[in-house]
Amino acid sequence: MTIDRLAIRTRMRDPGLTAAPSVDPATVRVMFEYVAWATAWLLVGTTAGLIASIKLHWPEFLPFAWLSFGRVRPTHTNVVLLGWSSLVMVGLALYVVSRTSRVPLWSPRLARIALGLWNLAVLGGVVTLLAGVNRGPQEYREWVWPLAVILAAAVLIDGYVAYRTVAARTLREVYVSNWYILGAFCYLPILYVTSYLPFYQGGLGNVVVQGYYMHNAMGMWFTQLALGVSYYAIPRLLGRPVYSYALGVLGFWTNLLFYPLIGAHHFIFSPEAWWLQSTAILFSVGMMVPVWAGTGNLLLTFKGSSGAVRRSYALPFFVVGLIGYGLSSTQGTIEAFRTANIYLHFTNFTVGHSHAAMYGFIVFIAWGAVYGLVPRLTGREPSPLAVGVHFWLALVGILTYVIAISVAGVLQGMAWVAGQSFIVSVTEAEPMWLWRTIGGLLMAGSHVVFAANVWAMRPQRVIAPAPSPQAARVPA
Amino acid sequence: MSFGGLHTDHRAIVAVAAIVFFVLTLVMAVLPGLREQAIPASAAAPPRGSEAERGRQVYMREGCGFCHTQFVRDLPMDRPFGRPSRHDDYALEDPPMLGTQRTGPDLADVGTRQPSETWHLIHLYDPRAVVPQSVMPAYRWYFAEKDQAGSGDVVVPVPAGHAPRGKVIVAGPDAKALVGYLLSLKQAKVSP
Repeated sequence: MTIDRLAIRTRMRDPGLTAAPSVDPATVRVMFEYVAWATAWLLVGTTAGLIASIKLHWPEFLPFAWLSFGRVRPTHTNVVLLGWSSLVMVGLALYVVSRTSRVPLWSPRLARIALGLWNLAVLGGVVTLLAGVNRGPQEYREWVWPLAVILAAAVLIDGYVAYRTVAARTLREVYVSNWYILGAFCYLPILYVTSYLPFYQGGLGNVVVQGYYMHNAMGMWFTQLALGVSYYAIPRLLGRPVYSYALGVLGFWTNLLFYPLIGAHHFIFSPEAWWLQSTAILFSVGMMVPVWAGTGNLLLTFKGSSGAVRRSYALPFFVVGLIGYGLSSTQGTIEAFRTANIYLHFTNFTVGHSHAAMYGFIVFIAWGAVYGLVPRLTGREPSPLAVGVHFWLALVGILTYVIAISVAGVLQGMAWVAGQSFIVSVTEAEPMWLWRTIGGLLMAGSHVVFAANVWAMRPQRVIAPAPSPQAARVPA
Repeated sequence: MSFGGLHTDHRAIVAVAAIVFFVLTLVMAVLPGLREQAIPASAAAPPRGSEAERGRQVYMREGCGFCHTQFVRDLPMDRPFGRPSRHDDYALEDPPMLGTQRTGPDLADVGTRQPSETWHLIHLYDPRAVVPQSVMPAYRWYFAEKDQAGSGDVVVPVPAGHAPRGKVIVAGPDAKALVGYLLSLKQAKVSP
């Protein structure tokens, strides 16, 4: 047992990270297709977000039914969450699974079918939501059920491909990245199906499930995939093992135990059971354990590598993403307290928080991984200048956005607490909404640059047919 | 199962993770959901007519719930919107639209606070005709601009400057239904 553990410690510190000599071209192609489609959805979702943002300080902008605020807003959230963020992370995760298992992806063909289903669902979501066909304002589950079925099928197929790839690994150990990634593929189907089945959602039951669903979609899907990808990409790019393997595993288990308990903190002071709300607040504090275990662990991996960060165009994205993880999660914990909730709930502060987390954490990690991993696979690099432009536009943009919208939220909350006429909260927030659009324009600009960079990284046409998984297996 | 065992067994990792999450799902979502679902509607709740029910569909189609809550908390700042919301207020709502953002005011009791059908119709046609600082979308596609009102038309008295010159604004069926829904949003009277 002791020897076994020692073997794990030494070997796991450098799992699959010592580059295998060849990369299966079929795996590379399918990964790139995920990234490319995700990027297309990023542009669509950004457009929707910008329209929604502009409408708040210019209500007569694009006064058409299909583009009214109440339809564009869910289009924005669903496209950036289920189209862009999910697809880019799944593409990266499938690649990481294959690399850390040192085998080609189990079935690139199935992964490609899943991508098709995924695109179909997101496209259907855009059309139906803009047409006003939805299930009401139930955040991130506004899609009608047939689209949800298509999406669920895509997730299950991708999960199966990831599982079979790990099962076929040539290393004995399951590298920690794969814990997070396989976990994500377990949690999302359970979460998604639970959120759509109606049997326990009458009356406020619906709201209990809403809190559970919209919260866990973040921590049990996006966070899992982002950490899984980070635990591969960061050590790989730095050329050194992760600071502490055990902390990575601790983060995995504590996230699983604490995160699902805290969804009700979105409905504090509601008639929902008080124990549910209190449990949510308590474990929101507990979440500091996995959050800082993950952030600290990955940031400490950088220790003494500031030179590498300066030289790499991918690593700065990771640094921002990890800091974004720690800060936005801490912010979330503070927002869960009842006192903070009085001032901040229902305000734009929540919108700032969700952007800090999804964009400042998940999306920056995704960009770091795309820039860090894709060029070494396709053999094509984007211009470092263009990546720099992307980085700074995105960073200044998100900071402007989050600061503006958080100030708007505080102003709203203060106006309410002061007992002023409701419209005061609108007029006080409105200048900040203009600033939010300015931040959003910078972010949108960075996305266009990113799309051009993705195009620059496209793989060369591969002539040789993809070798079968057996033939291409590389010795460990 | 030893720690080392999990490290080398992908089946065990997946099984443990899935089972733990499934159990937490039952405890935190399904079972509390069942409990809430069992709460009967308040006897004092007025039934919603078919017009108001159609209006609720319009409310959902337009995503009104992304900016308007229907959820009065037991906090001083929420007093203007009605009494604190109770479990049984939502028993018949599918889905209940408590909401997470309050860009516009809460609507849980708007039928009591603003009972004028005319006000609501003008407000839906052009919110800035009645609240100049409003940022709410104008739902003009639920209204017809006519040269002359026909018999049975509900004419909306939109103030000058907010409608095309020389036209009368007539409320369409969806506008009337939506207003019917808004007026139906009245908190049931309950003894404290």
